[in-house]
Parts: sequence; C-alpha cells; structure tokens
Amino acid sequence: MKLTKLLLATAFAATSLAPLAHSADLRMSWWGGDSRHKATQVALKACGDKYGHTIAAEFTGWDGHLEKVTTQIAGGTEADIMQINWPWLPLFSIKGDGFADLNQYKDVIDLSQWAPEELDAGSMNGKLNGLSVSTTGRVFMFNKTALDKAGVPVPKTWDELFAAAKQLKTKVGPDAYPMNAVKETAVLLISLYATQKTGKDLVDPAAKKVAWTQEELAAAIDFYGKLVSEGVVVSQKNNAAEGNLNLFESPKWADGRISGSYEWDSTFSKYADPLKGQVLQPVGMLKNAVAKTEGVYRKPSMVFSISKRSKNPKAAAQIVNCLLNEPEGITALGTSRGLPASKIAAKMLTDAGKIEPQIVAAHDIIMKAKGPTVSPLNEHPEVRAVFLDTLEEYSYEQLDSKEAAEQIIEGVNDVLKKF
Amino acid sequence: MSGDSRILGLFYLSPYIIGLLVFTALPFAASFYLSFTDYNLMSAPVFTGLDNYWKLFTGDRTFRKSLWVTLVYVFTTVPLKLAFALFIAVILNYKLKFINFFRTAFYVPSILGGSIAIAVMWRYLFADVGIVNMGLATLGIEPVNWFGDPTNALFTITLLRLWQFGSAMVIFLAALQSIDKSLYEAASIDGAGKFATFWHITMPLITPVIFFNLIMQMVQAFQEFNGPYIITQGGPLKSTYLLPLYIYEEAFKRFDMGYASAIAWVLFVIIMVLTLIAFWSSRHWVYYAGDKRS
Repeated sequence: MKLTKLLLATAFAATSLAPLAHSADLRMSWWGGDSRHKATQVALKACGDKYGHTIAAEFTGWDGHLEKVTTQIAGGTEADIMQINWPWLPLFSIKGDGFADLNQYKDVIDLSQWAPEELDAGSMNGKLNGLSVSTTGRVFMFNKTALDKAGVPVPKTWDELFAAAKQLKTKVGPDAYPMNAVKETAVLLISLYATQKTGKDLVDPAAKKVAWTQEELAAAIDFYGKLVSEGVVVSQKNNAAEGNLNLFESPKWADGRISGSYEWDSTFSKYADPLKGQVLQPVGMLKNAVAKTEGVYRKPSMVFSISKRSKNPKAAAQIVNCLLNEPEGITALGTSRGLPASKIAAKMLTDAGKIEPQIVAAHDIIMKAKGPTVSPLNEHPEVRAVFLDTLEEYSYEQLDSKEAAEQIIEGVNDVLKKF
Repeated sequence: MSGDSRILGLFYLSPYIIGLLVFTALPFAASFYLSFTDYNLMSAPVFTGLDNYWKLFTGDRTFRKSLWVTLVYVFTTVPLKLAFALFIAVILNYKLKFINFFRTAFYVPSILGGSIAIAVMWRYLFADVGIVNMGLATLGIEPVNWFGDPTNALFTITLLRLWQFGSAMVIFLAALQSIDKSLYEAASIDGAGKFATFWHITMPLITPVIFFNLIMQMVQAFQEFNGPYIITQGGPLKSTYLLPLYIYEEAFKRFDMGYASAIAWVLFVIIMVLTLIAFWSSRHWVYYAGDKRS
C-alpha cells in the first residue's frame, strides 16, 4: 500500500513539473561596482522569470576577475554566461573556439541590433564569441562643484590643467589635486600624450612593434613626470602611502581634494556615486594646439559570451538576448555598463529618459573624438605589466625617462613578437 | 585483524585518502610535470625540458629579487614571532587576575590574522592618515610612509605576521604548563634566580616545542600571500613581492603555468632543504625527556 502511494506521489510530482521541463539552471559571472551588481541581479531575476530559468549570479570587483575567469575556463567550470573584457578575447579564444559561436543561436539572439563592425569586433576567426555590450573609452571627468568652490575653471587643455593645479594649491591647500593618475590611469595618460604627439597608437599592427620612437615615448614619460612635480597628480609613492586605494574608494575623491580623473565612460556612475551632492562633469579630450589628434582611447567595452561547455547554451542565449534586447533586461540593466551598443536598448533608454545627461555627454565625447584605432594588445597583461613596472621604477627615480622608454619598448616588443 | 575489520578501517580512512590523492598528491605530481612544459592554460602543455629552470636561474631578475625578499621576510618574521610568542606565553603562565580573558584576547588575532578583512584593516591602520601615524603625531614624530617607501613596506607586512602569534603562543603555554614544578622548587632551593631558572630549566624543556613551532612557522611564512597581495600588491619596487605572489601572477596574470610551476618547485626545494637543516641541527639543541638526543 505504502509503495503504491509512493509511486502515485512520484507520478503526480513528475506530471506537475512537466511544464517546467524546459527550464534551466544557469550561472552568469561579471565584474563591476555596486550599481552594476544590483542592476544585473534585478535583470537576471526578470529575465529568468520570463523564460523560466534560474540564473545564479557570480560577481566580483575588477581586481582578480581575469584570474578567476582564467582558472574557471582552464578547469572547465566557467559560468554559462560570462562578461568578458574585449582585450581578453585573443587570450581565451585566439582561434575562435574558446567560447560558443553565437551565430549558431541567431534564431534566439536578434543580431540585427548590432552594426556589422560591432559584430566583427566580437568575432575571433570568423566565430562570434561575444556580443558587444557597449563601446567605451577613457574620458576626462572633473568634480565641478569642488572646482567651482575653489574658483577654478574646469580645465579644457593641458595648460589649463597645470594652471588649475597651481590655483588649487593656493586656494585649497597643498593636498588638492585637479587630476588623478596612478597605475593604469598613468599608463593611459602617458599613452594619450604620446598618441596626441605622434598620431599613432602604441602598437603598430602591421609591424607588430611599438609604433613610438624612444624619444617620443621619453617625452610622454617626461610629461607625466611634470604632472607629478607640478602637483597636478598624486605621486605613486604618496598614493601607495594611502594604502593603494581605488580612486572611487578614496576619501580624497569623495570630498573633492582630488577633483578630476581620466576613466572609462562606462564607469562614470562608479566615480559619480561617492560624490554625494557634487556634480561630476565629463570634459572633452585635453590637448594642446600642436596635437596631431585628440588621441581618444576608444574600444568595444566588455562583451557577453556563452561558455562552449554550457549544458544549456540555448537557454543562455535566451537570457543574453533578454539582457541586451528585451525590455525586461534593458530596463533593469539601464546604463550600468555604459550606453548600450544594442540599437533597441539605446533607443528604449533614450526615449524613456533613463540615461543621465552626464553619461550621455561622456559617451558623446568618446564617440565624436578622433584617434587611431586601438589595438587590443595595448591591454595584454604582459604589455601592461611591462609598462606598469617600468613606470614604477621611473616614479621611484630608479630610471630616467630615456631608460624607461627603452625598457618599455624592448619589453613590449618582446611580447608582440608572440602574435 | 580480520579481513572485514581491515576493509572497514580502509573505508573509514577513504575520505582522507581520496582527499589526499585528489587535492594534494595529484596536483603535486602534475605541477612537477608542468614545470618542464610551456603551458598557457588554454592549450595542451608542450614539453620544453629544463628551459623554465634555465630561465629562472640565468635570466630572471624578478625571481632573484623575489627570492631575496622572501628570505628576508622569513628570516625576520620567524625568529621575531617565536620570541614574541614565547615572551607572551611566559607572562600568561603566571597566575594573574582575568588570566583566561587575556589568554583568549592574545589568541584571537591568530584566528583572524590571515583573513582578507584584517589585511584591509592593516591598510587603513598604516595609511598616511591612519591610526599609527596619528599616534606618532601625538608623540611629535613625523608621519611615516609605511607602504610607499620600499624600506618600510616589508616591515609593515612583517608586523601583520607578527601580530598573528597566538597559535605559537598557545603551544608554548601548553609546554610551559607541562613542566614539572618540582624542578623549579629544586632550583629555588639551590638559589637560582629567575633568569637562570628560565635559561637552564624552562628553555631546555620546551626545546621540542620551539623546534615544532620553528618548522611550522617557517613553512607558513614561505607561503605568505594574503598580506602583500591585499596591502601592497608586491610593491613598491617589488619590495614585498614574495615568491607566492610571483607564482600567482605568472600563473594567472601572465598565463605561464609551466614557469609558475617551476618557481613553485624551487620554493618547495628551499623549504625542504631548510627543514632538513633544522632537523639536522635539532640533534644539537633539542632535548627530549631531559636528555640530549643522540
């Protein structure tokens, strides 16, 4: 009797669960700040409810995310859906076989929402490995409230930036700085100056070598040295003394003592959020009259990829499409990853007035500014490590600018030889 | 032992044996093989013979710097930590008021010490406007650049390790309490002072525990990762770039698992050689049951 009851109960349970047979348990991983984490979790819940899937969220800050994804992919335990930094595509999928080919799911994902060049940017060896979430670039942003309070105009050229530093020191104090440039930001500021002076990106894609001469790079490093010596930016040594805090975590950023930086436009909210009651204003590319180009560092931002080992790739494709092209995902994600690359998402958010004017302004600066095409190898971990280590030696006066330039060029060329 | 009992015994042991094989023995053997390969995690390893070791010992300035920093760190922290742990254990061995509270309070940092949260707290304590510099300012001392100055950064990381003296202290305390009180009474009757009693009775009797703590602390110090990773990221100028950090960055930032495995094996050999030296030297200074070990 008991056995009959058990069998009946099992049969009933199986019948009642039948409508959910298509549901899938998925995982999605990404990096970001608090605003992105919250928005993505809401979006995953909305899209999961729509398609009957459950999606476990795996999120971290930027630091360590590449290592985490690398370990997972090497061990075959990566999430079904992954937010992948665009420069990482050649690291994980040089032949295009590191991720699922999203062309195979074009019946689920509406690929017509991206321009052909955006799809090309996410393709490796002809296989669509990632869908561009947004186009991003480095943009100058200044705490207008803090500068206004000190009676200092928002800088629009390099010369005005140096003048702003002098005025801030006089009016606010010696620990007031109009710009931040440590580590990666310092590297990109040096690159910007060299690009403006030469009209070239760091990497010569044809020759697979550094495009700048030693003199050109040394001049850019000297420019960075001048930024430090004239009190425009905090020195690496003093930044380390503060405990190597991220700028958006630093009390000096929150209270306006550091009143400017050069960051990704897609992270604008991350830097604006701590400035409670203060206005963060994006500003066009700083340059001087002799610059050959504005030198904008523009690139596809992160992409959404699907694991080639996913047991439910079609379900994952449904969620990716929902996040990027459907109202539930678009509304919830908003501008947490910058202005969306998907046409329908951009239109929907613009029409609904959901995009903050400053984020639109920051993105417009990036999209309108001129500059050479940026190679993804600029952000190859070894290239970045050579630049960062050498710059640290320069900052601690172990090397002069010429020696530093020589070391960077030799080191980067060694890495580029492998490609 | 009957056959059934033997099988049952193996069954009870199996979780440990399986864990040991899967999580220790297999990675151990795999890393040895990988150290002779070029392996970028994404494609199959390619055997390259001794190339990784050749590069390590002939052309890698970073390895030499990292090895030197690691040795300085280990040879500074281990003796200081043992001395401090023993000093506190001797104090806590006295019958004082609220002694159990103090024993717990001194032990707590060793539970928390290795955590990420404590490393983050360290970053705030020793920041340019942190509590430590504020304390120095009240004494009229100029603020110190703890993390930004290469000569201070390693010291700051060392202090974090010293702060976690609790586990060594508890073991010392247990050893001190196990010493036969009649020996102290006899020494007292013979007119021995406190220092002579400590040096001639206490120290010889706790040498096995000193030896045990020395080995354990040395092995742990060679594996230090959290502190420098969170607080200084190995900088400035690689002054806190301990070997585990270098291994990690080679493996997961530069995707050179073969080279990282080679560094890991060099680190293993260094630890093994130092441990063997310690064991060899123990014949001359470790005493068991009051007799010099033959």
